[in-house]
Amino acid sequence: MASNAAVPFWRAAGMTYITYSNICANLVRNCLKEPYKTEAISRERVHFAVSKWTDGKPETPTIRTDTPDV
Amino acid sequence: MAMAALRREGRRFAPLISPHPMAAIRSSIVPAEEQAPLGVRSISTQIVRNRMKSVKNIQKITKAMKMVAASKLRAIQAKAENSRGLWQPFTALLGDTPSVQVKKDVIVTISSDKGLCGGINSTSVKISKALNKLNSGPDKETKYVILGEKAKAQLIRDSKKDIVLVLTELQKNPLNYTQVSVLADDILKNVEFDALRIIFNKFQSVVAFLPTVSTVLSPEIVEREAESGGKLGELDSYEIEGGETKSEILQNLAEFQFSCVLFNAVLENACSEQGARMSAMDSSSRNAGEMLDRLTLTYNRTRQASITTELIEIISGASALEG
Repeated sequence: MASNAAVPFWRAAGMTYITYSNICANLVRNCLKEPYKTEAISRERVHFAVSKWTDGKPETPTIRTDTPDV
Repeated sequence: MAMAALRREGRRFAPLISPHPMAAIRSSIVPAEEQAPLGVRSISTQIVRNRMKSVKNIQKITKAMKMVAASKLRAIQAKAENSRGLWQPFTALLGDTPSVQVKKDVIVTISSDKGLCGGINSTSVKISKALNKLNSGPDKETKYVILGEKAKAQLIRDSKKDIVLVLTELQKNPLNYTQVSVLADDILKNVEFDALRIIFNKFQSVVAFLPTVSTVLSPEIVEREAESGGKLGELDSYEIEGGETKSEILQNLAEFQFSCVLFNAVLENACSEQGARMSAMDSSSRNAGEMLDRLTLTYNRTRQASITTELIEIISGASALEG
C-alpha cells in the first residue's frame, strides 16, 4: 500500500497535501452523474493573479486560471 | 441719376449723425457699470439647477450600488457562515496561538480589490502593521503576503521591502474552495515561514466587522510547542493510525489547516466588504438626499425672490403711472 511507504508518493513528486487533496476532489467530482457533474465542475473555477516581489519591486504578475478563454 | 445716389448716401449717413439722441444724456446721469447685460434681470439659478441634477445622478448610482452589494452579501453570507465549520476542528486540535514567538513570521493581509467599502481595508492594514511591530526584533524577519489591490496600495508606501507575494483578482469568479486552496498552495510553495498570521475582517453583522488574526504554525513549530507543553501539550495524547509518522501527519495537517483557514478568511472578508459597501452606500445616498433638500430650498428661495422683485417692479411702475 502506498500510504505505508516512508514518504507518500505524491509528496515525493513535489506536491503538497493541498494539491493532492484537490486532485482527489476533482476525481470525485468527475464521478458524478451528468446534470450534477457540470454544475460541480463549473462551481470550482480558479482565477487569480500572482506577482512575486523581490527587494521592493514587483515582478510581472502571472495569471493562474483554468478558463483558457479569459 | 447723381441726385438719387446722393440721396441714398444721405439716408445711409443719417443714423451716424445721431445714433441715440438720448444715450449721451442718460450715460451722464446713470453710472455705466450698473447696466446689466441685456436680458439678465435677476440672479441666475442655472448653476444650482445643474448641481441638483448631478447630485441626483450620484444618488441614483449609490442607491444602485447599495442594491448590488445587498444581493451579493446575501449569497456570500451563507457561504461564509457555512465555511466556519472548516476551521473550528483545527482550532480544537491545534489551537490558535497568536502569542507564539518564532523567527520567520509571515503576515497574510486580506483586503478587497475594489474600493468604496468603508474602512475595512485600512483596518486590516493597520492590524498588519501593528502585528509586524509587535513581532519585530533582532534575528527575526517579518514578511507580508497581500491579497487584494487595496492593501497593496497602502502597504507599498512604507513596507515595500517586506512584501514577498501579492495576489489579486480573486473575486472574478464566485469564491470557492478550489481557488483558495490553489492560492494557499502558491503561498506555501513561495514563502518560507514558521508562522502564518492571517488578518481579515470577520463578519459579524452588516455594520460590525471584527479585525481578526488567525495563526497557522509550521509543523516544526507545532512539534516544538507540543513538546514544551502549554496549549498544544495535549497533542501527544492523540493516537496516530496508519503507517505515517507524526511529523508527516503534522505537515499534512498544517497545510490543510492553512488552506481551510484561508478559505474561511477570504470568505469572511468578502462578506465584510459587501456589508461595509452596503452601509457606506446607504449613508452616501442619505447624504445626497440631504444635500438635494438643501439645494432645492436655496433654489426655490432664489426663484421666489426674483418673482417678488419682478412683481414689485411692475406694481411700482404701474402706480407711478397712475400717480
